[in-house]
Amino acid sequence: MKSHLAIVGAAALALATIGCAARGKPFERADAPPDHATIYVYRPYSYNSSLLHPAVQCGSESVEIRPGAYHAFVVPAGHVTCRVGGETTDEVDIDAELRSYYVQERFAFGLLSGHPQLNPMDTDEAQVEIQSCCVQPR
Amino acid sequence: MAANDTASVRPLPFKGTLISGNPRELPPVVAMSLTNSSPVTFSYREELTHDEHHASTLLSAIENLTFAPYPTGEYVVTAFASLSISSRGQPIGDYTAQTRITRPYGMYSQPTHKELDDEARAAVRGEIDRKLEAESARLAASLGETE
Repeated sequence: MKSHLAIVGAAALALATIGCAARGKPFERADAPPDHATIYVYRPYSYNSSLLHPAVQCGSESVEIRPGAYHAFVVPAGHVTCRVGGETTDEVDIDAELRSYYVQERFAFGLLSGHPQLNPMDTDEAQVEIQSCCVQPR
Repeated sequence: MAANDTASVRPLPFKGTLISGNPRELPPVVAMSLTNSSPVTFSYREELTHDEHHASTLLSAIENLTFAPYPTGEYVVTAFASLSISSRGQPIGDYTAQTRITRPYGMYSQPTHKELDDEARAAVRGEIDRKLEAESARLAASLGETE
């Protein structure tokens, strides 16, 4: 009986930890047409709030990003607002020039569920962190 | 924030043309002193840098179990601004300002980055405005000399 419980427990743990992480192609730079900027929104893997994947909206595009994944939003240069909602909302304004921007999505503890955050990141730090993320499967 | 209240600021005693910077993202004093064609030029640059600190997941989880309103992290936004004023290519004023806004967040509330960014931008523009207001007489005199 004890061994059955151990197997069920181990299987549940494996599903909970592995099953929540996104799987897909490794990071690759997005091709942006002229007059466009690229906003990479990435979510380093964390068990905390891994079952939450609220839609992140940048410009007119909206994508649910799973833990360990990223999405490249290719947007016309200019003023862009990225937004994510949940128990609380976070939004960040980007005056997008013709280059790449990096935003890290993470979750802080909330009252009933995690609070999503969109943290603008320094390019150097983000380019290292995003390497561990895969393309968000569509 | 009184320094950023456009009703409380006055334009410079001269007009200038913006040659670098976003005309919708300027210190109020500069925005009020723009014209399409002038030998006086403004060049404005603004940069924001962001930082975020948070307690470890385990510590946050323990704190949340108490339902006490402890902050579990904080956002830090630093705004840097620089303004150069030239007349007929001759620099007559260079101003820089930096402000740092820190806001904690916890399980009951969390400010948005947009709110912090807006606050940091307003603060750094207010700082530039204050420097310009203190220098406006000297700038006007410099213009008299260069013309």
